[in-house]
Amino acid sequence: MFVSFFYNLRDRGIPVTPTSFLRLQRALRMGAIRSLNNFYVVARAVLVKSERYFDIYDQVFAYHFEGVELPDFEDIELSEMAKLLLDEWLKNPEGVAAALGVNEEDLKKLTPEELEQYFLDRIKDQTEAHHGGNKWIGTGGTSPVGHSGVHPGGMRVGGVSQNKSATKVALDRRYRDYSQEGPLTQSQMGEALKKLRRMVPAGPLDMVNVDKTIYQTMKNAGEIEIVFDRRLSDRLKIVLLIDNGGWSMDPYIPLVQTLFDYTRNQFKDLKTYFFHNTIYDRVWADAARYRNSELITDFIKRDPETRIVIVGDASMAPYELMNEGGSIYFGERSRKSSIENLQFLSQTFRHCVWLNPASRYEWSGTWTIDQIRKVFPMFELTLDGLDGAVSHLMSRN
Amino acid sequence: MVQDDFYKFRGADKYVLDDELAEIVNVSMALEMPLLLKGEPGTGKTMLAYAIAESLGMPLIILNVKSSMKLVDALYQYDTLTRLNDSRFSDSIRDVSNIEEYIKMGKIGQAFVSDTRTVLLIDEIDKADTDFQDDMLDVLDQMEFDIMEIDKTISAKNRPVIIITSNAKKDLSDPFLGRCNFHHIAFPEEDTMRKIIGVHFPDLGREIMDACIKTFYGLRKLEGIEKKPATRELINWIRALKADPDFKLSLLEQGNVPYLGVLYKKSPDMKVANEAIARNRE
Repeated sequence: MFVSFFYNLRDRGIPVTPTSFLRLQRALRMGAIRSLNNFYVVARAVLVKSERYFDIYDQVFAYHFEGVELPDFEDIELSEMAKLLLDEWLKNPEGVAAALGVNEEDLKKLTPEELEQYFLDRIKDQTEAHHGGNKWIGTGGTSPVGHSGVHPGGMRVGGVSQNKSATKVALDRRYRDYSQEGPLTQSQMGEALKKLRRMVPAGPLDMVNVDKTIYQTMKNAGEIEIVFDRRLSDRLKIVLLIDNGGWSMDPYIPLVQTLFDYTRNQFKDLKTYFFHNTIYDRVWADAARYRNSELITDFIKRDPETRIVIVGDASMAPYELMNEGGSIYFGERSRKSSIENLQFLSQTFRHCVWLNPASRYEWSGTWTIDQIRKVFPMFELTLDGLDGAVSHLMSRN
Repeated sequence: MVQDDFYKFRGADKYVLDDELAEIVNVSMALEMPLLLKGEPGTGKTMLAYAIAESLGMPLIILNVKSSMKLVDALYQYDTLTRLNDSRFSDSIRDVSNIEEYIKMGKIGQAFVSDTRTVLLIDEIDKADTDFQDDMLDVLDQMEFDIMEIDKTISAKNRPVIIITSNAKKDLSDPFLGRCNFHHIAFPEEDTMRKIIGVHFPDLGREIMDACIKTFYGLRKLEGIEKKPATRELINWIRALKADPDFKLSLLEQGNVPYLGVLYKKSPDMKVANEAIARNRE
């Protein structure tokens, strides 16, 4: 039963397992599912394991059980176009109404959602060169848009329905918002950075070591000798180097700020430095890059187990990276080229990563990114990227 | 037995249940599978377990997952120190040679040995690492675990109703998900919210309710907020408004929002909200 439904779900990219499908069959056999509405809810709970897929599920369900068309790419484009048209309508209603050849007053009665749907239908009609007069607003109850419309396929679209059918619910596509990845928030960063810790004993002796206690007690011939240990706590040292200068980083500053905020209250031993574009002889502890500077060569005094995290878009003119004295600042005359400084860092510290707020797809176009990737492993500043970076930082070698 | 059990859950006194969720809870109970709940904080994931326990008249056992937790902590504890102490001073009523007397059940263990069927809430599973999660589901699948120290297998007398909550945006591991039913609790619509508020404040006037809900959903629409106010904040906010003798309905209608600090817990959010409210008032 419903095998094609199962394959439809799989084809649309929902990871549905056969086990869960069999489980659904069991629920059916047990009589736990009484109606299509019930089936909609139960099948989703059993088959779909993330709210990200709920939207696709809704579409497949509507397609499978009511024969509503699955949107292909063309339709997505069309719906984008309808949205644009809606924006346009808000700015210039007369123009849009005239272009569609309808009365402006009729359109004004619709809610924005209805309008969007209406526009979508209009665009579809026009692309299919199919002008059915009975689809225009105001000509009668057969219009698909509006409160008691009858769709040619027999499907209710929009409007307030008393008996909310499952396919209707599916068609609402309530979960559309969940299918997209949102921006990184502080708590998500925390989620990703949680693994970034190294537990070592520290603090007062306040934890009983049972094994040692038993051993010592036996050694004392049964006279109790309780052995205390220090508690394990996180002593990971982290140096965060942030590119905070230049227009090229401007779009990413909120993102970097979030990471920065988070790291500041997460780690006890965290040093943050700033640089512009790439690292020359010095990095600065103040964001203005003016007062407290530190020589990169002094970093050799630090614990080699320190984790180095560099955040920057790694995009600059090639000479800034490769030339001696390549800094774009007059008065900053470095003896070594920046790439040598970067190599120095990566050789001194075993655990370094470079986080790039720019999307992975934009990397290949930039020459300096390629060069820096030869020195540091580079990760995107996204949840997945952070995950990768953290596991690299915590790996043993 | 299935049919008897099946339509039992209908929502408790203080919990407003939507039909979808009720069906999912019922099916999970019938299929004897854990139910994994995700959703924004404040959508009532934890409250659901309380509600199920209340409406089915089962005891509720809560396992609050911590990041440092090991699976065995949730199953049982072997109290070695007490035993050591007893063996040395031999003034207790326990029999030192019987290890079983020093085994204490953890939360999962308690649910297994309970004489009645229980509701087991495993709260915030995402805090623990992946191994913990997978191992725990092994135990919950087989409904038994071994106590190594006394070489004894504890089997569940009654299969508990298992509710698992997760706040994480990240997905849990595939094997884990494969063994659970899943539901995502969306933020309540205005109508549902009215019911929720009505349950908590039965004597709240209609105008005040309308004004509060309108203001609240208006505030939720603001862009650039990191932690949007949720049901819990709304309830506290209405409580604050009710407690204030100077509060008048006209305040809300003019676009003022008193006690903003009840709704927003982060200072950047507060700033954004303040600016938006100031704009609104003009």
